[in-house]
Amino acid sequence: MPQQQPSPSPTPAKKKKVRVPRVVNGVEQMVEIEVDDVGGPGWGPNDKHAVLNHRMTRVDGALKVSGAARYTHDIRLPNMLYGRILRCPHAHARLKTFDSSAASKIAGVKSVIQTPLKEFRFAGSPVAAVAAITPEIAQDAVRAIVVEYEVLPHVVRADDAIKAGAPKVVEEESNLQQKGKQGDPQKADAAFKDCDAIIEAEYRTPRIHHACLETHGMVVDYSGGDSAIIYASTQGTFTIPGDAAEALGLPQSAVTATVQHMGGGFGSKFGIGIEGLLACKLSKETKAPVKLLLTRYDEFVMAGNRSGSWQKMKAGVKKDGTIAALQATQYRLGGLGGGSQAGQPYVYRVADFYREVYALHTNEDSSIAMRAPGHPQASFAMESLVDELAYKIGMDPVAFRKKNLRDEAYHRQLDRAARAIGWERRNSTPGGGAGPLKRGIGCAVGTWGGGGNDQCKVDVTVSRDGSVVVAVGTQDLGTGTRTFTRAIVAEELGLQVPDVVDQIGNSKLGSANPSGGSTTAASLAPSVKDAAYKARMAVAEKIAALFGNPKPEEIVFTDGKVTGAGNSMTWTQVCAALPPAGITVRGEWRSDLQARGVHGVSFAEVEVDVETGKVRPIKMVQVQDCGLPLNRLTMESQVNGGMIQSLGMALWEGRVMDADLGLQLNPSFMDYKLAGSLEIPEMVPIIDDDDKREVVIGMAEACIIPSLGALANAVFNACGVRVRDLPITPDKILMALNGRKAA
Amino acid sequence: MKKSRGIGDGQTPSHDPSRRRFLKGVGIAGAGAAVADRLWIDGEATESDAQAKGPRALSGTVPVVLDINGQKKTVQVEPRTTLLNTLRNHLEPPITGAKLVCDMGTCGSCTVVLDGKPVYSCLILAVDAVGKQITTVEGLGTPEKLNAVQNAFVEHDALMCGFCTPGFVTTISAYLKKNPNPTLAEVREACKGNFCRCGTYPRVFEAALAAAKAGANS
Repeated sequence: MPQQQPSPSPTPAKKKKVRVPRVVNGVEQMVEIEVDDVGGPGWGPNDKHAVLNHRMTRVDGALKVSGAARYTHDIRLPNMLYGRILRCPHAHARLKTFDSSAASKIAGVKSVIQTPLKEFRFAGSPVAAVAAITPEIAQDAVRAIVVEYEVLPHVVRADDAIKAGAPKVVEEESNLQQKGKQGDPQKADAAFKDCDAIIEAEYRTPRIHHACLETHGMVVDYSGGDSAIIYASTQGTFTIPGDAAEALGLPQSAVTATVQHMGGGFGSKFGIGIEGLLACKLSKETKAPVKLLLTRYDEFVMAGNRSGSWQKMKAGVKKDGTIAALQATQYRLGGLGGGSQAGQPYVYRVADFYREVYALHTNEDSSIAMRAPGHPQASFAMESLVDELAYKIGMDPVAFRKKNLRDEAYHRQLDRAARAIGWERRNSTPGGGAGPLKRGIGCAVGTWGGGGNDQCKVDVTVSRDGSVVVAVGTQDLGTGTRTFTRAIVAEELGLQVPDVVDQIGNSKLGSANPSGGSTTAASLAPSVKDAAYKARMAVAEKIAALFGNPKPEEIVFTDGKVTGAGNSMTWTQVCAALPPAGITVRGEWRSDLQARGVHGVSFAEVEVDVETGKVRPIKMVQVQDCGLPLNRLTMESQVNGGMIQSLGMALWEGRVMDADLGLQLNPSFMDYKLAGSLEIPEMVPIIDDDDKREVVIGMAEACIIPSLGALANAVFNACGVRVRDLPITPDKILMALNGRKAA
Repeated sequence: MKKSRGIGDGQTPSHDPSRRRFLKGVGIAGAGAAVADRLWIDGEATESDAQAKGPRALSGTVPVVLDINGQKKTVQVEPRTTLLNTLRNHLEPPITGAKLVCDMGTCGSCTVVLDGKPVYSCLILAVDAVGKQITTVEGLGTPEKLNAVQNAFVEHDALMCGFCTPGFVTTISAYLKKNPNPTLAEVREACKGNFCRCGTYPRVFEAALAAAKAGANS
């Protein structure tokens, strides 16, 4: 890799303070930083771009459709060993004896190591790892290890964990931990007196699996020398080398992490992880490269999950549609972890509210970040409650939302999506209409931050033959990072996307933030823009003589041509006048090129068979803003993807635990139901072009949030009963219908 | 107090009746018996051996000649090795377009075309693929020369992370040979054995229909 030379910075720039999100383990926290208050051009009007805000096919598309893209799973090195993990079969147990003698005797087994754990607090907790010459033999070795456990009492259901005398997940600690409260309980309580209608209800969402098709893991290329390369399936190239170096006993500078293509993360792939540490230890011990990728079963039981939720809500509304009071007790169900849940009343304006938030622990693996951590859970509960209030006072649910949403963006988006789905077609009487197939429409809204931070350092090199390279260590999760990175440079230099080459996914390149919290675009794009602008100025300066020395900013780069003082030459012609090594510049983040705060609304139409309880999604519409859409084609794909993952959560997905055994009953795609081709409704992703903000804002997480509520509300509108416990499976609908008839 | 082994083989579903699952479970002693009529076992493992000495771990590999993307490849594998793992872990150079995702025939990411039919390569043993024409996604087109389905996938952005994509591409390419002018409903039906987690389905359907229109077989 060529040495990159940062450009000498000009006069010391003015500084300014900005608040930015920093992502730790996929969860964003706000911090204040100081950045250069520098100039440079802005993005310009969103509808005036030559390359950006168009429909660009992704630059790695041809590699991915032909099997040529090499993922971490595809790496195979000479003498490479395969790692496998032995997991504890009990929800809570202590290690008594460990015998790996039979495993070690199997031909082809090179190493068996124990994890340092002596007490296991969930079924699936890693006990040991093996390395062998084939994955099949590694599996044999795992089976041949004999472990004796002292089995301890466990609890895996929230309702059981909260009871007095429940088994303790961690000794000496309560299963219930208060995590925060907000509002005035007395005022909120008093406010109910002035309300015309009150709804009190409980909402639940189960734990959801990321189900990344490429499981967690890495290939450690280390053979006992003084350096190592880590091929990692990760959302954070730079989150790997430090821990890997420590595990291998090497200086961090001797360890390179690389990820060229990544088979899905959704928030679950930050840091080296237990599997990465075990891979490094096996590699260090065997002095051979080790590939340790979780099996699908491992992935379900130990690779993290979206925390479940249990929300007890009470809200009061006035006749004019104003939500005046709200009380919420929010339990985050994160197993060993703390879980996450946005605070109620979510995006709604409620004059007097009070909420208490708790983590309720069980003997399950720790939840971790998953696409918009905490938001789908909170949005589902609040949007269901809002819907119930609207129906209770007989107000149009769209009008009711507008009454209680401050932000004008939601108002225009609600109107737009209502038109797109045909809101007037909704069931005028929930559950009404002839025949067993009932159709209904529902809606909901969501929000996300999506702002950037100052971690991206981007180098642009222009060579004498006119070739352009943009280099930064960031990663492309399939979100289209590569494509917009090239596009920004191409547009600035008056070129097209294929004229620019990228180098990404390598920790020896310029630093970049991990891809969490939808912070990648708003962190990376400004740095790329800054680098591209500096490259344009540097080229202009070097070749100005060709045009009789006009000022660099007077030289125009457009359509592959360079024009100055009335004369025009091709890009290739002017680049021939560059110095032999070409030019290389480094771009830094500019806070003025990005912002935070996106809005989205979702409308869903479903058909409910009231005889079988089956829900068939018919149509989904989502309107999403993001400031400047960098690439319309990939952005629409993200919106589709958000809707589909939300659809899965609403209707099918959820971890199922056996309370007695403490085991997951559906740890495979056979039993954990993902959306499939037969269930996909008509989908309409709409980019909100009425958002005129000329800034980049991340939106990928926002689009998973609102559809849960929209679908649940559509089910109510269709069949007249409300299921407050996701997923909305046929049994729950039939039970609710039955209960209504009995009542 | 309980004495138990780990749940390392926990992903083995008891209700999966496939032959390969059975063979994988019993190891080479059983597998050797099952394939002895066709294959020579490299090593000592035979059924009578296993019976004489009681249960014990055996090892051994067999040479297998596979016809992959029009080329004959010889590879040495244990009889229990799946076609998928043979492609990925044993062939030189590796063929990695087919992805290992569920390893139990539920997701379709490992789909290859076997004698014209899309199949899950994680459910087929390499020794059972002998004498059959195997086409992987690499055999359908290259980045420089994509087939009509691959090209339509790029044009319609029918991929995000791309890990399921080779499976969809092989499934749809094989299907369009059988049915060159499918309806949307037929496309959905054709790829119901393939999962995508990123949520690319609407555009997969678009791409399949566009490829059909463009003449997938031209």
